[in-house]
Amino acid sequence: MSRKNPFFYYGGKVLSFVLSVFLLSLAAFYVARLAPGDPLVSYYGERAEKMTVQEREQAEARLGLDQPIYVQYIRWLENALQGDFGISYKYKMDVLKVIASRLPNTLILGGTGLTLIFLGALALGAVCAWNEGNWLDRSICKAGTVVSCIPEFWLSLVLILVFAVSLRWLPSSGAYAIGGGGFADRAVHLVLPLVVTTAGHLWYYAYMIRNKLLEEIRADYVLLAKSKGLSRRAVLFRHCLRGVLPTYLSLMAISVPHILGGTYIVEAVFSYPGIGTLSYESARYQDYNLLMLLCVLSGGLVILCNILAQIVSERIDPRMRGGEPPEVTDHG
Amino acid sequence: MSDLLEIKGLSVSFRTAQGEVESVRDVSLSLRPGEVLAIVGESGCGKSVLCRSVMKLLPKNGWIKGGAILADGVDITHYTQRDMERLRGRLFSMVFQDPLTALNPTMTVGAQIAEAVLVHQPGMKRAARRRRVLELMDLVGIPGGEERYGRYPHDFSGGMRQRAVMAIALASNPKILFADEPTTALDVTIQAQILDLLRDIQRKLGTAAVLVTHDLGVVARAADRVAVMYAGKIVETGTVEDIFYDPRHPYTWGLLRSLPAWAKDGEPLYTIPGMPPSLLHPPKGDAFACRNEYALAIDYQEAPPMFRISDTHYAATWLLDERAPKITPPMGGGFHG
Amino acid sequence: MDDILLDVQGLTHCYRLDRRRTLRAVDDVSFQMHRGEIFGLVGESGSGKSTVARCVMSILHPTAGKIRYLGVNICDPGQFKSHRELLQTSRQMIFQDSTSSLDPRMTVEEIIAEPLVIHRVRSPRGSLRAEAEFQLKCVGMDPGCLDRYPGELSGGQRQRVAIARALSMGPELLVADEPIASLDVSIQAQIINLFKHLQREHGFTFLFIAHDLAVVRYLCDRVGVMFQGKLVEVGPAQEVFARPQHPYTQALLSAIPIPDPRRERARVVQSFDAKQFHREGALYEVSPGHLVLGEGGGV
Repeated sequence: MSRKNPFFYYGGKVLSFVLSVFLLSLAAFYVARLAPGDPLVSYYGERAEKMTVQEREQAEARLGLDQPIYVQYIRWLENALQGDFGISYKYKMDVLKVIASRLPNTLILGGTGLTLIFLGALALGAVCAWNEGNWLDRSICKAGTVVSCIPEFWLSLVLILVFAVSLRWLPSSGAYAIGGGGFADRAVHLVLPLVVTTAGHLWYYAYMIRNKLLEEIRADYVLLAKSKGLSRRAVLFRHCLRGVLPTYLSLMAISVPHILGGTYIVEAVFSYPGIGTLSYESARYQDYNLLMLLCVLSGGLVILCNILAQIVSERIDPRMRGGEPPEVTDHG
Repeated sequence: MSDLLEIKGLSVSFRTAQGEVESVRDVSLSLRPGEVLAIVGESGCGKSVLCRSVMKLLPKNGWIKGGAILADGVDITHYTQRDMERLRGRLFSMVFQDPLTALNPTMTVGAQIAEAVLVHQPGMKRAARRRRVLELMDLVGIPGGEERYGRYPHDFSGGMRQRAVMAIALASNPKILFADEPTTALDVTIQAQILDLLRDIQRKLGTAAVLVTHDLGVVARAADRVAVMYAGKIVETGTVEDIFYDPRHPYTWGLLRSLPAWAKDGEPLYTIPGMPPSLLHPPKGDAFACRNEYALAIDYQEAPPMFRISDTHYAATWLLDERAPKITPPMGGGFHG
Repeated sequence: MDDILLDVQGLTHCYRLDRRRTLRAVDDVSFQMHRGEIFGLVGESGSGKSTVARCVMSILHPTAGKIRYLGVNICDPGQFKSHRELLQTSRQMIFQDSTSSLDPRMTVEEIIAEPLVIHRVRSPRGSLRAEAEFQLKCVGMDPGCLDRYPGELSGGQRQRVAIARALSMGPELLVADEPIASLDVSIQAQIINLFKHLQREHGFTFLFIAHDLAVVRYLCDRVGVMFQGKLVEVGPAQEVFARPQHPYTQALLSAIPIPDPRRERARVVQSFDAKQFHREGALYEVSPGHLVLGEGGGV
């Protein structure tokens, strides 16, 4: 029996992805409609409250809100499959356009943050494991624990106070200055949000890397690797890191949404015009179409990352792959 | 012939929460080129620690407390880890008990052997390296090297894994091979094959080997000389014939007598009463005294020195003192079981 | 017929590897155990001997076949239910690794008395502590250990505690899966003597799973040899060791190390080619009670 057919392997993954996203959209659709609140307010603003019953009914019919929920859902799904996700009640424009205008900002913040966390944690963890037990390791461990315990909103406020208000070195909010938007301008605006995003998560992953590495260092194969004359560095990087990476990569993949979720708070504090602030608004104003798309997008991202994590760990660790059973006999 | 490895009065201790554990206490040994020396003893007697301290592969809480290690005439007692990296693999390397955990599960077996080849010959070309790996696989009896080069350890059977570990250990033609319980984790039918391979390699390459084991069957098959260890000390050393046919130390007697292979039908097996002492606070005098039915009063007072029986045979028991009462050993002169 | 305690007929157990493949770990194994005997089951790792033990203990449910214990078919859920109390108390198991099979947070007394508490059995010796003390003495340990934790005991002592726990329910059948494999030589001898003592003095029946053939030869009354899930030979230990019939048994016996350098070095290990192994065929009798797998007639 040979390895699994890749067509079926990836086909199965895609199928499970599609199914999960479908179920997620269904759940989100129902829950959103069942939540209290008036979507007409976000569409008509103040005017909605002065409407007569008749006017309300007309307005609801126009927005399709008078139908039973499952009919609304089927209609939404039909349109969505053709690429039409409806208009945002609040912004009165295609939700895709609303999101498209905000998405790059979040991707820049989240992507850079993620990369920083990924590489930083790896480096920090390796430094700690290398210096296990000595003053450097101990002080990094202590500092890391303290920093990771600081709440993000508080850290953000302190940083704004120090660097934006007192020292005036860095801007306190926004993604770019009005009229600006060049690379340098954007970079300057990114510094504080990035510091907060990274500081909140870095140590969690670095500590995991450190402990996983130490676990690997105590494994038997390290003794064999050392006894064949490999240097300590080669053992750590070529052997131990290899054992840690699959778990780390899959954990990182799973936590992409978690870190992005963290940027939502940061976006709010720094008034950074990203997906985070948008999601918050859409939920608050019953902006159904916008909320649905954001839900499906971020939910889809979570599911996608999970599937990727699974594939990554199966790719790197040969034991996780399906294959031939080990030899049984040994007479040769 | 000069000694390849000489250990003089070596003591190794471990720092634990309860205090200092003296795992190896004042051990002297020598290993000649091309011979197989077996170190026998029960778990916790310090036999593995002895090997690992020579290779400086002790865990962080262990340290060499005293004595000297001379490898190939050079005093390596105070070598740093960096100095040791140059010696490991080339002067000595090691084979472990469980070949599954000793191999890195995420690397192909071929790559792991190639890595061992590369360590001491960094400039080696890819093709030459591959040829050398296949040669090593052939040497240790892994058939179908070409096909198995790219396989992972979990595709191998236990015996084949142990052979792969041996290929790694032999990659840089070491002069000494430490084998720490190399057959314990293997099936009975494979054990003899691995031991015969060890002897075969030792004959072909002239590699000396230190064989650490608790199994006297293994010793009988593969060793030239034997050192019996108890509670961190060597209590008897001699050729394999000395130890099996003319044992002198009561502990060696006990070990041999408790084997089911020599039990008579219907009679209970001989057992050594009691348990090995804790090495946290080693007892005064002979550590074996309280389990020894032949113990003399002096055993509780003073540790016995090594008494010479012949040029090859030494034992640390007061029974060999000329003032001691003569007793008929319960063992020796060959078995008739 | 009355003295047959355990009757295993056509026992088969398959593990599912994935959707399409199954591994036949035990394949059509039949044997009987008489009351008061030590029956040894030997074979290499992966030969299915532990799986047989687990099926006998109802830890695994066999794919096919029948196991009758005291006349009760334990593979039948209905019969199992109606005899649950008997089946759960009179069969006990001892594992290889007593470090992991004893709860490190329980004292020796609690460990030994636990089965009594679970089955709400009143101790025949009054208090639970008295019972634990009695069992501890029975396995040759000092009652002073009652309040200690497994972590404070040596390997041999822990194994004795595990045996005492198994004895506390007053079992008839003890299934020991490699009970001495992780012990030192001199401690092994103590535990082997203990098994022999328990059989002789108290009449326990043992199913003894082991890979150390020298121990099996010494300890067991009858022995079964397994290879790749098949029982290839079964018979009185003396007989099987003296006149092994199946080529695999012959190879296995030739692999027993002899602690005598001259004889050990002269020993030639016979090899057994797995490709030549005939799985088909049935056990046939070569001498009274000595059965060999084959196609009938010569081997």
